Amino acid sequence: MSAGGATIPANGTTTVPGITSVFVRLKLSLLRNGLRQSSGRRAAYILSGVIALLFAALQLIGLIALRGNEHATTIVVLLTALLGLGWTVMPLFFPSGDETLDPSRLVMLPLRPRPLVRALLTASLVGIGPLFTFCLALGSVISVARGAAATAVGVLAVALTLLLCVALARAVAAANVRLLSSRKGRDLAVLSGLVIAVGIQVVNFGAQRLSDAGGLAKLDPVAHVLSWVPPASAIGAVDAVSDGAYGRGAAQLLLAVAALVALLWSWERSLVKLMTSPDGSTLQAAEPGRQEASRGLGGRFLPGGRTGTVIERSLRYVWRDPKTKAAWVTSLVIGLIVPVFNALQGTGTIYFACFAAGMLGIQMYNQFGQDTSAFWMVAMTISTPRDAYEELRARALALLVVTLPYSALVTVITAALVGDWRALPEALGLSFALLGAMLATGAVASVRFPYSIPQGSTHKNVAPGQAGLAWISILGGMIAAALLCAPLITLTIWLHVAAAESWLWLVLPLGAAYGALLSWAGVRWSAPQAAARLPEILTAVSKG
Amino acid sequence: MPDRAVGSEEAGGAHTAPPAAVRVAGLWKRFGDQIAVAGIDLELPAGKFIGLVGPNGAGKTTTLSMVTGLLRPDAGTVLVGGHDVWQDPVAVKARIGVLPEGLRLFERLSGRELLAYSGRLRGLPGDEVDKRATQLLDVLDLAGAQHKLVVDYSTGMRKKIGLAAALLHNPQVLFLDEPFEGVDPVSAQTIRGVLERYTRSGATVVFSSHVMELVESLCDWVAVMAAGRIRAQGTLAEVRGDAPSLQSAFLELVGANDRDSGESLDWLGGDAR
Repeated sequence: MSAGGATIPANGTTTVPGITSVFVRLKLSLLRNGLRQSSGRRAAYILSGVIALLFAALQLIGLIALRGNEHATTIVVLLTALLGLGWTVMPLFFPSGDETLDPSRLVMLPLRPRPLVRALLTASLVGIGPLFTFCLALGSVISVARGAAATAVGVLAVALTLLLCVALARAVAAANVRLLSSRKGRDLAVLSGLVIAVGIQVVNFGAQRLSDAGGLAKLDPVAHVLSWVPPASAIGAVDAVSDGAYGRGAAQLLLAVAALVALLWSWERSLVKLMTSPDGSTLQAAEPGRQEASRGLGGRFLPGGRTGTVIERSLRYVWRDPKTKAAWVTSLVIGLIVPVFNALQGTGTIYFACFAAGMLGIQMYNQFGQDTSAFWMVAMTISTPRDAYEELRARALALLVVTLPYSALVTVITAALVGDWRALPEALGLSFALLGAMLATGAVASVRFPYSIPQGSTHKNVAPGQAGLAWISILGGMIAAALLCAPLITLTIWLHVAAAESWLWLVLPLGAAYGALLSWAGVRWSAPQAAARLPEILTAVSKG
Repeated sequence: MPDRAVGSEEAGGAHTAPPAAVRVAGLWKRFGDQIAVAGIDLELPAGKFIGLVGPNGAGKTTTLSMVTGLLRPDAGTVLVGGHDVWQDPVAVKARIGVLPEGLRLFERLSGRELLAYSGRLRGLPGDEVDKRATQLLDVLDLAGAQHKLVVDYSTGMRKKIGLAAALLHNPQVLFLDEPFEGVDPVSAQTIRGVLERYTRSGATVVFSSHVMELVESLCDWVAVMAAGRIRAQGTLAEVRGDAPSLQSAFLELVGANDRDSGESLDWLGGDAR
């Protein structure tokens, strides 16, 4: 633990106020030390704090303004439920966010579980997150509380909501601490960014749909159910008491209290277990792995030599390497969401389906950076431009195994949603050409502008100092890919303008052939450079 | 590969009597202002167990990276079995095996998959790769962990699977950077046994270390490096000279003995060979 002002009494004095204040002081010094590190970090820290506080204040004002609105209850209950969900999943995704969350750091101290729970709970009320939560809970209560009884319940509800949120995070963290400190847990954390990215897309789409059809009234039944789920039930109780439904209010309030007690009990249990039983994580790691043939299912269908070997390794990495997996799933989901959601909203055309090919083509960029410094194993086996050609071609083929059927599927789905079946061949042709262009420019960029992807940090994808390189490579590559596709796009437009629609099907074979030609040329052109630049590439991808 | 006896027949220029597995001449590497390797000349005899020793920061890793073609030198030539590493990579890369320090493996593969991948990339037939992989996993005591991902391996297991990958194509010269660093005694003994058997068959092992006792007990031939230069090279007896142990000879060579007398750091740039 860092050298903060907090000193823990060594003689086992575990009087409640003593230990609680020690933990609060510890939390405060941790916060203070966070500020002390570097000026850049301090600026980021203060900035994020200010933004969070501003946001909280705005939310408070917004919620107070909501007072009297007929949908106030719905919004407030949903918000509180969402907040509870956030607190629940946060320790899973950001296990290192709060050092005091990790009870294994306290194992060596002579502490009894009950005072420890009390102290940790109090300490975890300190921070920006709890303050934010407090503002939100307070605003929620103000917007729905009417009358003296409701105000009294409201005070209770604010406290209960805050405690429930904090206890949720603590209980989940304690229950999963073994998982979170293991490799699987760290892998999970890498995928969290993805969940958030996709979640934002879905929420965004949901909000748009909501504003289209019927508005908030649609959410009333959901809010009704959620108002019985803690911590939202505490807010629901305030609303019920305001309406004079004292019985319902009491039941909801009791539910929240019961949930808090249950959470604290389960938290205490996992704390006791953690502090008295040995760490089993290393024992678990020693268990014999699953039996898997070295040449798996794919082995029988893949060509021999370098081609099949590299394809197999690339595809295994898509599944097993959390960073690669996150990048792939993001590409796959965004590539599907954009054309499909646009089509659903009636604003899309089938040409949006090319987005899938473009997104997936990005995976060809920085191929060697994805290897990390393990690239030396590849470099040791590349002696000639021919070897480099086979290596790059195999990587492009591994991508095509997934991207070709996927972009075709997305195009067909979009065609079905838009109802524009006649444009399917040309859209497919354009997709294939774009995919080929992305593979070509990706191969060139992989060789010319390799950069390393730090493995230690979960949310960083570029090593310090190489961000410019990464942007140049991807942005430049995408512009180049678009330019490379220009002849085919021109042809398509010309066929439309010249009223030669009966010839538009030609775009499909032409696009497929053009895409194949482009990717062959890109790989062919970059192979000699790759063979000549092996040490430079290895140096570039080994940073960080 | 049958041509075990490393030929000096293709090595251009004058030949000395003992065939050299590795010949390094005038090797330089500079990172910014720092000179990591300052003009190294080395002649490593074939069929020997060779130790490259030196304190941390002496340039051992940089030297080994340049000798194996993983780092481009600023100047100098490297010949492995008479073939230039940079002019003739086809001949060199087939003849050498490498276990670098500080670089990753493809850790999301299982141990067996890593060997299968590595061997096939080297162009060996699949059946042969699988056969050799099974034997290597057995000998290196990794059979029980062969289906576990390398990312879950301990340091010793990583070194062993890296060694297996480096041996898979039966190279003539094996370059190992700190192969015993962080390795438990049992794994170290296993690695040692495999390497001793390998050199007895006529192959050359070049490994770096800063543990003198280990080098003294393993090596026939030693090169001492400090501050980017070679301080001494030769058989163990030659390098040791009159000193009671390699350790004290080494300390004398790198000038560490002078420190007590409070003199200036005279080994820095001082009496260059």
